[in-house]
Amino acid sequence: MGLASRDRGTGRLLNGLGLGHRRQRTRLVRVTAALALFAAMVLPGALVMPAQAAEDDPVTFSVALTNEVDSFNPFLGIEATSFEMWALTYDYLIGYSMTDMAPQPALATEWETSDDGLVWTFKIREGVMWSDGEPLTARDIAYTFNRVLDGGPEAATWSSYLVGVESVEAPDDTTVVLTSKKPNAVLPLLPIPIVPEHIWKDVSEKDVKSYSAEPTDGQPVVGSGPFRLVEGTAGGSTYRFEANPEYWKGAPHVDEVVFRVYKSEDPMVQALIKGEIDFAEGISALQVQSLEGEEGITAHNGDSPGFDEIAFNTGSVDLETGKPMGDPNPAVLDAAFRFALNFAIDRETIIRTVYQGGGKPGQNIIPPAYGDYVWEPPEEDAYAYDPDRAAQLLDDAGYTVGDDGFRTLPSGEPIGKLRLAARSDSTTSVDVMQFFQEWLADIDIDSEVETYESSKLTDVILEGNFDTFEWGWYVEPDPDSMLSYLTCDQLGNWSDSWYCNEEYDDLYQQQHVEMDDAARAELVKQMQEILYRDAPYLVTAYSSIGEAFRSDRFACFQPQPDPGGIWLIQYGSQNYLNVRPADEAGDCDGLENAVGASTASGGSGASSGGGSDDEGLSTGAMVGIGALAGLAVVGGAIVLMRRRATVDDRE
Amino acid sequence: MTILGRADYGRGGESQEDNLDSASSGRHGTYGRYLLGRCLGSLGSLAFMLLLSFFLFRVLPGDPARTLGRGRFTTPEQLDEFKRTYGLDQPLPQQFLTFLQNTLSGDLGISLRYRVPVSDLILDRMWPTILLVGTSTILAGAIGIWLGVRGAWERGSKFDKVSTGGSLTLYSMPEWWLGLLFIAVFAVGWGPIPGLFPTGGLHSIDAEPGTISGVLDTIWHLFLPVLTLTLAYLADYALIMRSSLLDELGEDYLTTARAKGLRDVQVRNRHAVRNALLPTTTVVALSLGFVVTGAITIETVFSIPGLGLLATEALTVPDYWVLQGTFLVASFAVILANLAANLVYGLLDPRVRT
Repeated sequence: MGLASRDRGTGRLLNGLGLGHRRQRTRLVRVTAALALFAAMVLPGALVMPAQAAEDDPVTFSVALTNEVDSFNPFLGIEATSFEMWALTYDYLIGYSMTDMAPQPALATEWETSDDGLVWTFKIREGVMWSDGEPLTARDIAYTFNRVLDGGPEAATWSSYLVGVESVEAPDDTTVVLTSKKPNAVLPLLPIPIVPEHIWKDVSEKDVKSYSAEPTDGQPVVGSGPFRLVEGTAGGSTYRFEANPEYWKGAPHVDEVVFRVYKSEDPMVQALIKGEIDFAEGISALQVQSLEGEEGITAHNGDSPGFDEIAFNTGSVDLETGKPMGDPNPAVLDAAFRFALNFAIDRETIIRTVYQGGGKPGQNIIPPAYGDYVWEPPEEDAYAYDPDRAAQLLDDAGYTVGDDGFRTLPSGEPIGKLRLAARSDSTTSVDVMQFFQEWLADIDIDSEVETYESSKLTDVILEGNFDTFEWGWYVEPDPDSMLSYLTCDQLGNWSDSWYCNEEYDDLYQQQHVEMDDAARAELVKQMQEILYRDAPYLVTAYSSIGEAFRSDRFACFQPQPDPGGIWLIQYGSQNYLNVRPADEAGDCDGLENAVGASTASGGSGASSGGGSDDEGLSTGAMVGIGALAGLAVVGGAIVLMRRRATVDDRE
Repeated sequence: MTILGRADYGRGGESQEDNLDSASSGRHGTYGRYLLGRCLGSLGSLAFMLLLSFFLFRVLPGDPARTLGRGRFTTPEQLDEFKRTYGLDQPLPQQFLTFLQNTLSGDLGISLRYRVPVSDLILDRMWPTILLVGTSTILAGAIGIWLGVRGAWERGSKFDKVSTGGSLTLYSMPEWWLGLLFIAVFAVGWGPIPGLFPTGGLHSIDAEPGTISGVLDTIWHLFLPVLTLTLAYLADYALIMRSSLLDELGEDYLTTARAKGLRDVQVRNRHAVRNALLPTTTVVALSLGFVVTGAITIETVFSIPGLGLLATEALTVPDYWVLQGTFLVASFAVILANLAANLVYGLLDPRVRT
């Protein structure tokens, strides 16, 4: 006690004598020391960074995506992003045309079918090399397909493409022979990446389920594609590819392709505006609009082969007993009721307001990109917004307006509330269903919107506890798989409308084995006509994908389908071979619809863009230093304040 | 705000030494028993979490095979093959036994979505999260305590008004909105302010991890997200610190301390703050435990591949093993932090031992 008070007296005395100055000096010394230490720590880094960037200036094309790779192993991945990475790393037996995704030569230069359609013989390109210098032969191709035919995780991913295929053999280095039990019109499209046998033979059937196929010890993944994966892990946020100058189609025009995953769209668009990235994939139509005036950026909504629909429960049944299951409203079980609603939907409004102008009014389950297969309804029944006609059709089918102002079932009982299920994770889905609710009210049908998580909705659909829901499909280059989702075989599997029609199923089987393209297209059109009348789906929109890129830096993206299609995430890797610095664009090797062809950009080419990038980096580093120095000052001050008490104690 | 009976703390004892004296004299046995009890309790919680983590996620709607298979042509046989490969075809009790066996031997299973061991995934995602949330928690704790102490001591002053008002305003702002604002202003540039920071990610693509420039690059990338989170967390600590210090202000022992002739700063730092620090310690300790749960919104806005994002995205599949793994790691961390807080409490305040 006494000691304490003496301390206090001394402190005050010293304070008066100018200890304050000493304390100030101490603080100054402290802060200076902290700053010096920090500067010593960071300065080398700040000096190194710009130097690194200046080094022989490789051309890097950086792409921002919204989804990460789920697996670089071509036998495991499922995400579209992963498909894109494989397209860079590997080759395929058959390629896809840029115009309409029709089969075109890739590793196979030509192919022929036996008269019975059972034996396919592919002639394989010579001189293709794996990135480790080994030659790619027909044996690698046979090996890849046989891994799938042999079952296991490979089959879980790919066997649907080889249904009915008995064997795949390579009698010599340049021939692949594929034998199937019955004709298959989907062949020869096989989206399975070809992997090198000499690497994968060491990956056992047991190990493949968790084999990552990523670069190990700095060694790039062995593939034959136009690029090589040098850095990246499944679920990671950056993937780096370097060009394969020996690629058989010719060397790419960029040295590196870098992918970065953005988890939200706004920062991604901001990064594009700032120039941190060169290409933004998968942005909303609203962002495309906002980017339209931006200098040095070109944006568009590219047609993507898919559609969104309002689907009905056309009759859920217990697959074991065949008895009705779930609780669909009797009205939606009636094809006449569903067909009438076709005219109650204002698709133009949906596209304009819900899709912000991205996408096109929907009609069929076959998107316009697959032109030859698309069925158009006769003029008088064409898809149009006509509530009066919808009301008339409902009246005709017996759904008349009752005393309470709402329509009744033909039996006279009230319809009640239709349940419109929307996916809570998609605003599009919720908005469409809210519009649908209003339009149903216009024709005197009561309804309410219910929202579900996608995974929950899947369960609800399988249990049959729904009237309608909103969802979409992505349609593969061959319409076969999309058509199959509405067959009786798919009940309890991928069928979500519980649609089952024998006539439709017969046509499906016929088109599946019809090897004549024109005859097959005719069958496919008949199937669409049946779907139009039975209306298990009301197709609301053909989807589009928003894309934008720095047209002051890069050029020559060819749309797929051409014209009107998307620039990246296509079938195949063609645009990674097309893309080049804007100042080298020229006529893009004669690609007519490529963006940036021959219009020659105004001088500010790749180099200046790159320059500002470097500047940004070092300035950023400087600010980082500044900010951290600031923190160090604050930290130092706090330490000092804490110390002050102890100093006082000692004195 | 009153956690674990801190309100009475220090009222009886005039100074810290008294308490520490009584703690060290003849109470070791009691503390040992207390320690044992707490550890056993934590083990019990862990065992419960192990059970819960398995069954909790199995009741999620959805079927992983179907979610992952949607959008491309898959036959029922393929779905069965997938389930067989990843053990989903086994009856639930069997799956649970396998899960117990594997978890106890340190194997968290294979992710259904990424097809790599879950432990690898979690390790990969852990350090961005710890860097981001850990740094922010510590910064917010330090700055918040300082703000709270100064605010309470100079209650009603301009500083108090500004710091309390400011931290409350930041607290009520949605984190993602603040983050987007920072991106627009400081990453892209706005008016005279140049865009100085990157818009997202953890490092530049050409940065070499481990080198000084690599570390610097990561700091540069983390600046805005850490700033956002620190500002958002600030009020937690500032307000708790402020209110608990205010509680102490009227106490007799402070008058005594002043009567002893201690300087204002000494009274504050050696007596008032030490007693008022207890609730804040608890909050900081618990927050540190929650670090590994990540900060989902900020991870999303700044595209930082952390544990929060990993877990939320696994929910949509649902990727059972990733969910179980992240849940276990998170609950382990929280239980550990809780245990640590309890042990420190037992040391600081003998009365909680009974």
